[in-house]
Amino acid sequence: MTPAIARDSLAAPRLDRKLCGLRVTSDLPLPELPPWTGDDRSADLDIRLGEVPDTLDDGAVIHPLVQVAPDGRCRFALAAVGAYLVSSDGREVIVSPAPGAEDAEIRLFLFGTVFAMVCHRRGLLPLHACCVRVGDKAVAFAGDSGVGKSTLAATLWTRGYPLLADDVTVVDMNAPGGPRVLPAFPRVKLWRDSLERLGLPVDGLGAVRASLDKYHLPVEEGFCATSLPLAGLVQLEKSRQLPAGIRLLPGTQGLARLKMVLYRPRLMLRLGTQGQQMALFLRLLGSVGGLRALRRPETPAEWDELEALLPGLAG
Amino acid sequence: MGGFYWIASYPKSGNTWMRLMLASLLNGGAPPDFTRTMGFAGAAGAIPDMDLFLDVDSSELTPAEQAELRHDLALVTAAATVEPQFRKVHDRWGHTPGGRPLFPPQVTLGSVYLVRDPRDVAVSWAHHSGSSLDDAIAFLAWPGAVIATAGRWKDQCEQRLDSWSGHVASWLAADPAPLLVPYERLLADPAGELAQVAAHCGIAAPDAAVTGAVAATRFERLRQEEEAHGFDLGQRRGRAFFRRGVAGGWRETLSTAQADRIVQDHGPAMARLGYL
Repeated sequence: MTPAIARDSLAAPRLDRKLCGLRVTSDLPLPELPPWTGDDRSADLDIRLGEVPDTLDDGAVIHPLVQVAPDGRCRFALAAVGAYLVSSDGREVIVSPAPGAEDAEIRLFLFGTVFAMVCHRRGLLPLHACCVRVGDKAVAFAGDSGVGKSTLAATLWTRGYPLLADDVTVVDMNAPGGPRVLPAFPRVKLWRDSLERLGLPVDGLGAVRASLDKYHLPVEEGFCATSLPLAGLVQLEKSRQLPAGIRLLPGTQGLARLKMVLYRPRLMLRLGTQGQQMALFLRLLGSVGGLRALRRPETPAEWDELEALLPGLAG
Repeated sequence: MGGFYWIASYPKSGNTWMRLMLASLLNGGAPPDFTRTMGFAGAAGAIPDMDLFLDVDSSELTPAEQAELRHDLALVTAAATVEPQFRKVHDRWGHTPGGRPLFPPQVTLGSVYLVRDPRDVAVSWAHHSGSSLDDAIAFLAWPGAVIATAGRWKDQCEQRLDSWSGHVASWLAADPAPLLVPYERLLADPAGELAQVAAHCGIAAPDAAVTGAVAATRFERLRQEEEAHGFDLGQRRGRAFFRRGVAGGWRETLSTAQADRIVQDHGPAMARLGYL
């Protein structure tokens, strides 16, 4: 181990990592990503520190956070964190950290909206979903922020189901044999009260941002690092007025809920990829037998019921 | 570019009732569907809206960043459709930390401000939040009052209320000026008030639709629907959302000292609105 560390820190700071099947080289340390163990291909995605212009030439300022240039480059920025520039082919991201920004928060938005831009540019379909392995298949649970995806991921993880993704489930629609989930990285983001309800200690966990009471739970043990066919797609709903259990939604509703199932759906409009992404989404609905809806489990009995339903979802 | 009608109030002042009436009115006076989550006039600064329209996981923004982006959210959301949009508001009228209006006048088509006797508000807030009457009275007097503070499963940005008096003062000075709708007048003459609100909000309001909307949202009816189907709008779990729907109920609930304290806290604003 020692020679490897010495070489990495002295001569080759750019460690190769793996993110959703991509070989990633990076100026920024990305400790949550597993090391690249695949073939000797050149990098799929290069993350570099550098200058990011305040405004893109002829770029459309969509709102203070997002700009898109006519040549396809896109910029995401948050004043306290930094600016990010994604190349038009989605193979390069330039990061310009804001003074005083913490590494954790720079990575938080890198793996969020910025990586969604990369996915759009590369023809990958990012779902706003967590994803667990059931048997030899993957089942994804989608929904808006705050609906309970991470709580569901962590709960199923504590019940022995390996995770492929927490917040963003990236699907390769061009894989031979049908849509496959590309594993993200072994972290689940949880608010303190969710961790406490799960009986997991908060001490020692890194905060996603210093000012937020939300933490990264490492789930290396029980992380599924290989891609799996996506067998089921379920949208989580939180209203207690809905009936318990899983419902298959009619096809038209599945499409209408696209904006609740895709990750950062309006990026399609910003980036001009809506035709491609909507076609991918329709194919996905077809291949998983339609979108299902589930009132989010809250009681131990409801968690047991969900667990009993999982084999059917993966079948 | 479209724009917004803001249906604004301090909590527990008839906002949901008004929105149910308007939803019914827009549907020709049909009863609201209690088997579904209320879809009309969601909260301004809802986390799903901010995520969707600003392309970011807004739960990972600091409250100050969220508050600053509320201005941009209003502009971007207004530009997304030419149709007028309705939003529920509990924030005081005011500005972002950077000094930009929270409810930008250029995308404000109109505002409706519902107001209710703070003695009744205090009783209702105590029930809704599961706090004691004394705590509710203190909450109404607290200039730092904020609702929807951070936590899991949160779907709204923090909303700064100010004290009840501060809330009233902010909205009565809002740009553009709102239509003032006292809860007590709405109870006494729901059809007349609803017709006024509809006119203010550019909603066609044939008499039959107004009558239908009023009948469909009578208190007893809402209470029955809640009992049959549930109605979850942030109240302490297990408590009814539609509690009494009366004016002056505080007389049976508050002690003289408690009622006096509210008058002490909010006398000038209460006098201005005719509650004293």
